[in-house]
Amino acid sequence: MTEPDLTLPTTGYRTPHNELIRGARAALPVLLGFIPFALVLGAQASHKGLGVTEVAMMTGLNFGGGSEFAAIELWTSPPLLLVIVAMTLLVNSRHLLMGATLAPHLSHLPLRKALPSLFFMCDESWAMGLADAQQRGRFSLAYFLGVSLCLWLIWVSFTALGAVIGPALGDLRSYGFDMAFAAVFLVLLRGMWRGVHAAVPWLFSLVTAGLFHLLIPGGWYVLAGTCAGLVSAYLWART
Amino acid sequence: MIDHLTLLTIVAMAMVTYLTRVLGFIALRNRVMSPMVHEVLQAAPGCVLIAVIAPTFTSGHPADLIALALTLFAATRLPILPVVLIAVLATATLRWLSAS
Repeated sequence: MTEPDLTLPTTGYRTPHNELIRGARAALPVLLGFIPFALVLGAQASHKGLGVTEVAMMTGLNFGGGSEFAAIELWTSPPLLLVIVAMTLLVNSRHLLMGATLAPHLSHLPLRKALPSLFFMCDESWAMGLADAQQRGRFSLAYFLGVSLCLWLIWVSFTALGAVIGPALGDLRSYGFDMAFAAVFLVLLRGMWRGVHAAVPWLFSLVTAGLFHLLIPGGWYVLAGTCAGLVSAYLWART
Repeated sequence: MIDHLTLLTIVAMAMVTYLTRVLGFIALRNRVMSPMVHEVLQAAPGCVLIAVIAPTFTSGHPADLIALALTLFAATRLPILPVVLIAVLATATLRWLSAS
């Protein structure tokens, strides 16, 4: 008589493969916001004289939409390397904080796993990974990677496609796709909602970022808003 | 043939961006956070997300602001896919109405 094999996954058991698929599926609604922006970015880049290979290289190696739009906006021939790199640093400085918030969730992993995984961290995958951890009580690296890889693949392929078909597209943003980003972010924020008290720093962040965006040109508003929000969170926590 | 300076700029961008992704993590890895730091970091995700979309709130076009209000309302009660669809359709419709 054979013993039942206890190593077999029981129903509902989460294998890394299942988690990867679950993440990729969760990313699908987000793609609605990604694809039009990717096409627009590719089209703008080709307008500035970048070829398909260069566009795919930029979006594949950098993988940060905001900084790529800024770089293309500033792009000249030849490109001003230092200006573009400084702008990239400014727009992506929020990643420093995002990486820091992942530290408690990833610190049990060896660096050879954690560091490559962080390459794929973007606003959406980071927020979705954290929201999932809050819901299930545990951060799932495979879920995070499922979201991230899906978004990365679509971002790179559709920016490249945008560079090819760009001139035929016109401005997709005017059709309302730009609101898709706000929609995704607002749903993510709802998932983080912990009552009015905890949301006060968000209001400071929003107001400061809005004012900076109106009054100060360049990419300062994200950094300024985030800092204002954190300072208010700090003061709020002390009282 | 890719121009050298273009290639160099792209690689430099990629390196800077990757550093922003790992440095915050490396700085706080294996470190016990004080309750204060923990509390402040808990507010960070929301602050980042709302700062990124702040320009949508300050656009000043009535059509966009009404669409944003509808999106915000939808986001408080519906799953992500319907919210995104409502956002795009409302924005497109209201812009079309305000332009005609």
